[in-house]
Amino acid sequence: MKRGSAAAPEPILAARGITKRFPGVLALDDVDLDVYPGEIHAVLGQNGAGKTTLMNILFGLVQPDEGTLEVFGRRVRFRSPHDALTHGIGMVHQTRRLVSAHTVLENIVLGHPRVRGVLNLRAARTEVETLGNRYGFTVDLGARVWQLSEGERQWVEILKALYRGARILILDEPTSALTPPEVKTLLAGLQGLVRGQGITVILVTHKLPIVMSASHRVTVLRSGKVVVRLKTAEATEEILVHHMVGRDVAFRSTDRALPTGRPLLEAEQLAAFNDKGLLALRGVSFSLREGEVLGVAGVTGNGQEELAQVLAGLRPAASGSVRFDGQDITRLSPLQRWQRGIGYVPAERSEVASIAAFSLVENITLNYHFDPAFTRRGVLDDAGLERLTQRILSAYNVKAPHQHTRAQHLSGGNLQKLILGRVLSRRPRFLIAHLPTHGLDVEATAFVRASLLDARAAGAAVLLVSEDLDEILSLSDWVAPIYEGRFGAVLSREEADAETVGAMMAGSLLKGARGQ
Amino acid sequence: MKLGRYELTLEPRPALPPFHAVLTAVVAILLALAFSSVLFLSAETNIFTAYRAVFSYAFFNSHGLLATVHRSIFLLFCTYAFLVPLRAGLWNIGLPGQVYAGGLAGFAVPFVLGAPQVRALPPDLLIVLMMVAAATAGAAVGGFAGVLRARFQVNEILVTMMLNSIIFWLVAYMIKEGGPFMSATGEGESFGLPVPLHAPLLLGVPFTALLALGAAVLLDPLFAKTALGYRIRAFGESPAAARYGGIIPMALSLVVFLLGGAFAGLAGYHYFAAVPGVYKIPGNYGYYGDLGFYGIICALIARGSSLGAVPIVVLFAGLSLGARFAQGELRLPFGVDYALLGLLMITFVASHVLYRFRFAWRRIPPEALPHVSAELPQE
Repeated sequence: MKRGSAAAPEPILAARGITKRFPGVLALDDVDLDVYPGEIHAVLGQNGAGKTTLMNILFGLVQPDEGTLEVFGRRVRFRSPHDALTHGIGMVHQTRRLVSAHTVLENIVLGHPRVRGVLNLRAARTEVETLGNRYGFTVDLGARVWQLSEGERQWVEILKALYRGARILILDEPTSALTPPEVKTLLAGLQGLVRGQGITVILVTHKLPIVMSASHRVTVLRSGKVVVRLKTAEATEEILVHHMVGRDVAFRSTDRALPTGRPLLEAEQLAAFNDKGLLALRGVSFSLREGEVLGVAGVTGNGQEELAQVLAGLRPAASGSVRFDGQDITRLSPLQRWQRGIGYVPAERSEVASIAAFSLVENITLNYHFDPAFTRRGVLDDAGLERLTQRILSAYNVKAPHQHTRAQHLSGGNLQKLILGRVLSRRPRFLIAHLPTHGLDVEATAFVRASLLDARAAGAAVLLVSEDLDEILSLSDWVAPIYEGRFGAVLSREEADAETVGAMMAGSLLKGARGQ
Repeated sequence: MKLGRYELTLEPRPALPPFHAVLTAVVAILLALAFSSVLFLSAETNIFTAYRAVFSYAFFNSHGLLATVHRSIFLLFCTYAFLVPLRAGLWNIGLPGQVYAGGLAGFAVPFVLGAPQVRALPPDLLIVLMMVAAATAGAAVGGFAGVLRARFQVNEILVTMMLNSIIFWLVAYMIKEGGPFMSATGEGESFGLPVPLHAPLLLGVPFTALLALGAAVLLDPLFAKTALGYRIRAFGESPAAARYGGIIPMALSLVVFLLGGAFAGLAGYHYFAAVPGVYKIPGNYGYYGDLGFYGIICALIARGSSLGAVPIVVLFAGLSLGARFAQGELRLPFGVDYALLGLLMITFVASHVLYRFRFAWRRIPPEALPHVSAELPQE
């Protein structure tokens, strides 16, 4: 496994034979990585391929079991991120690690090794400003972090790493929380850093368009091994998918010929407050038949969360009503809704839909502890639940060492398959799927979408809430763009083209809610 | 930590065999005893004489052993009063208030019925009534905190602590200075229970021992095997996930606090109405309330296991009595018994680290040994 490109300068960062084992999992298996000065190097792989572990090793958060690291031609061994930083490696994590009540400047200076005891903000300000100007940084240093957009926060993190002397920047899934324009700005900015300032960037992602548009070179990981190293110019999306997944993936889309059944769910002028007490859902109406998918398309934060929770019974409706199978269920509890055949796949997989410290069997029990088929006089049927778990693990292709493994050891994609399998195993008549493929790799995404379509084919009505327009358009029978708590319209699939829906998601072309 | 060519690190243990739990507990006890040697040495007492006094009284003296048993039963109830809500992630810190409430309610039964009725009714029925009253009162006080927590998100730690204080003074009102429960002699304690209402003894041990041990045996499978136990654990791990799974937070908080409060109420019944030689609410009832706090530490050390709590409770009960005895016997300074228990708590808490992490020796690869410069190369 030697790299293919010759005649290159010495790598600025070289990892050799990195192996890391976690209990029951070989996370990295003899991985080599060469990053050359002044390039954007993409590390591509599905969830669970070992990308994050590798980056944590490069940043000193995790120690490898075997293998060596060379940075700037010197062999090094990192015991902490501090060691990595002194060698010029900085990391921007997938989740922001900023103090939101502090200013940008305070966040950048916070925790800097040179700041001991007295904090000289004025001196630091000049220094950070100079640095910011050099790198073309446009965020106001005096602004409070909570006032910033997600994209601006990311730049604060990048500047923070540069201020600590980072010459090699590791960005872990940097685009996952950004809007498309912010992604463009980020990528352009990174290219500027690389070209103008000689910074080297390692970009960890599972998004092909990002790799194709921004990187110079790409290393593809699969199941803890490097499968290929390519110059991006020599790669195509198809080739990368093939390497990443190990085979070709085809996305299924809705089969239009399927006849739809009788009306099942009717929502009338639903409204709800968000956690801050503001009216986030402002009168949404729709009706859904058996075997239909309604795709709610929108940018997160436009009332989708509230809509899903109101339908699942986790949030009271401020006004309006929901009828399910002819009965008013507006005030029913979550338990009563589960019992009536309403299933919910929440967006927060590890906080709401699963319990990290619980085993897979116990996580399956989360939707079965009330089921008379699995309890006898208040005692859980452990054997039955284990059999059920085993069935779900194999039917939904969940890769797990053991059914008593804790859920926290599953990768994001496997956890989502477990959750979806659990909810679908109840054969819900109405399924709420909120961001079901968000952050998943290509293969898990295809699997989840196929499972949703199988549920539809089995006669379930599905409410699909997604930010991914392609997903909405390929799975839905009806499309409802949501903006500021209202549906722009409820369009049939034939009327819904990407331009119309995209414009309505962004708040234009709104004609007021229209029933179907 | 670097030691020559080797490196010493703390690593999380991948698996946690029960053997390790026992081993770390034993190590913690030995360490605490070793540390407390300093206490005895500072009082110029022979360590072995001191430990012999502590242990022989607590576990090998017929009088002391009985006292240990009585105190263990009390502490077991207190431990479960804390442990049940703890499994749901709730902290029943102020459980002494529920203990007092249990004691008061127990004594309220003969008081309300009056002497003629007490003589007329079968004593067994009255004893059952007293226990039910004690458990109900404890549950009511606990349940109040549970409702406030579930309905209005009021912190249960604050509520139970404040209730604690209120009920402490309610007891004082009832038994002192002409209060309704005051004894005929007016010595700042309650009336004594009539002899038929003394709890029946089995081999000198009140029957409440059976209840406490029954709870020890039954609580673990309750959490591990039943739907209710599952719901309690799920809520304890993640209230949001539990709610998603159809668990009703209000009902769950109420159930665990009712159950915990009932255990605390039984603890009150046990000490004031079932321990031979007491059979009254004594003037220093606050001492028993404070003793109840050891239940918190026992539940935490047992990591939520009801059966695992039994040896820990017996140890705490025995050491608290034995050290107090040794203090009087050997004329040790005041507070030696508290210091000993304090040291034991500290080593137990510290042993949690050893339980969950292990020390690992690693040989540092030779190429990594030479010191690497911390400076960046200048380009």
